[in-house]
Amino acid sequence: MADTILEIRHLSKSFGSHEVLRDIDFTVSKGDVTAIIGASGSGKSTLLRCVNLLETPTSGEILFHGKDVTGRGVNAPEYRSHVGMVFQSFNLFNNMTVLKNCMVGQMKVLKRSRDEAHEAAMTYLAKVGMAPYINAKPRQLSGGQKQRVAIARALAMGPEVLLFDEPTSALDPEMVGEVLTVMQTLASEGMTMLVVTHEMAFARDVSNHVVYMNQGVICEQGAPADVLQNPQRQETKDFLARFRNN
Amino acid sequence: MGIFSELATDISSLLSRYGSAYLSGIRNTLVMALAATAIGCVIGFFCGVLNTIPHSKTDSALKRVVLAVVRAVIRVYVEVFRGTPMVLQAVFIYYGVPYVTGGSVKFTNVWVAALLVVSINTGAYMAESVRGGIISIDPGQTEGAKAIGMTHFQTMVNVIIPQALRNIMPQIGNNLIINIKDTSVMFIISFTEFFAAHRAAAGATYKYFPSATIEMAGYLTMTLAASFILRWIERRMDGSDNYELVNDDQLVMTAGTYNYPDKSTPFDERHKPSRDEVIQEVKIGKNRGER
Repeated sequence: MADTILEIRHLSKSFGSHEVLRDIDFTVSKGDVTAIIGASGSGKSTLLRCVNLLETPTSGEILFHGKDVTGRGVNAPEYRSHVGMVFQSFNLFNNMTVLKNCMVGQMKVLKRSRDEAHEAAMTYLAKVGMAPYINAKPRQLSGGQKQRVAIARALAMGPEVLLFDEPTSALDPEMVGEVLTVMQTLASEGMTMLVVTHEMAFARDVSNHVVYMNQGVICEQGAPADVLQNPQRQETKDFLARFRNN
Repeated sequence: MGIFSELATDISSLLSRYGSAYLSGIRNTLVMALAATAIGCVIGFFCGVLNTIPHSKTDSALKRVVLAVVRAVIRVYVEVFRGTPMVLQAVFIYYGVPYVTGGSVKFTNVWVAALLVVSINTGAYMAESVRGGIISIDPGQTEGAKAIGMTHFQTMVNVIIPQALRNIMPQIGNNLIINIKDTSVMFIISFTEFFAAHRAAAGATYKYFPSATIEMAGYLTMTLAASFILRWIERRMDGSDNYELVNDDQLVMTAGTYNYPDKSTPFDERHKPSRDEVIQEVKIGKNRGER
């Protein structure tokens, strides 16, 4: 198991008396594309935010290369620099141009030189098709463009795993495609990804592991063909049936 | 008409005798207001940033205690200096410091005393403005910065404060204008700013109204200039509404071809070119081609 990157063990999270996540267990290996699906409010996003320590888990462990990162005295910023995150609401820095957005993390966190940061930023901006827009500010871009810049910003940090929190949910339908295409390219290049999504086609075609969550627990997980085409649990069947009817 | 020509004569005689006093008063007022506002902003940012350091129950006891003490000290500072008249603070500090130290520390230069009082007064107001500016920034900005591994300090310096600064520029402008006017109370510790020139000139000549007219015009000119310059700085900070596409193929000419659609409302203040465009639109239709 040398290529295991993330191991989530017995992870639970409560907000006050409200238990949002219960006893979550799963593993992410190098090159995995894991799709987390489930109804709204089932705890998918909270799970992803716990993995990146944006929320502090109530109990359980998150092992990154075998080391627990949830304990006290862990350098959370250092850990986060290895784990990229793409948000539903993009969260690009409004005070910076596209290029600066992709450079600032490299220069301040990774202490790369300006030239190195510029080169990496341009490489990844070109990859997501945003290289011509380096001088634009986020407010001047469409949703799909912003999300592609956000992906480039995360990639420029050279993360070992990339977390996507419903990356297409805030987009107009005609912009979903451009973001999914970028994500599909990354997956085919072997990027390790953990994707919370409502795009069943993406889960079916791109991921190699599907986690179905229901009311804070993992209800069913496995290969996409098993979970999506041949679900075992009644909850999974009901959830997928609602999607087919739409 | 006789009144006005009399006033004009009085003003010109005042200006010929005390013109240099008025001018040096204006200079002192402006220097004091600018310096005190700048120092006050620094104090305000310092307090605002300290006040918004996140804390949670999982932090160590030491960190929580230190943060609680820092917060309490800032709170007392803000409440005391916001809640008492500046003219009184001037007296309190100018005479209080030598009194308490038994004369071993005193203000040899009235500039230092006045600058100190106006700065810490401005700082108390700015501390709250900055706190408001910081908490008004979308939490997504902080999360985006955290997600690429920035520490709280790096997030503040690179992401939050630049945006907060832009948002509180109107507040900074407010404080500058208030300071231009309120430095006049520093006459109490015999700081010779613009209003002190009036007291000297009117006291010697008994021409109270003509001198006050000069003062009104002088203060209004200073404050109007200040608000004009601040608006200009705000527009500079906002940057252009347009951006240039950068093409890898240098032969393809795209520079300046993309004009981002103007999403502003008709009520916004505009730059002169776009204002002219709108006026022209209203007068003669959309553009030449459509006529």
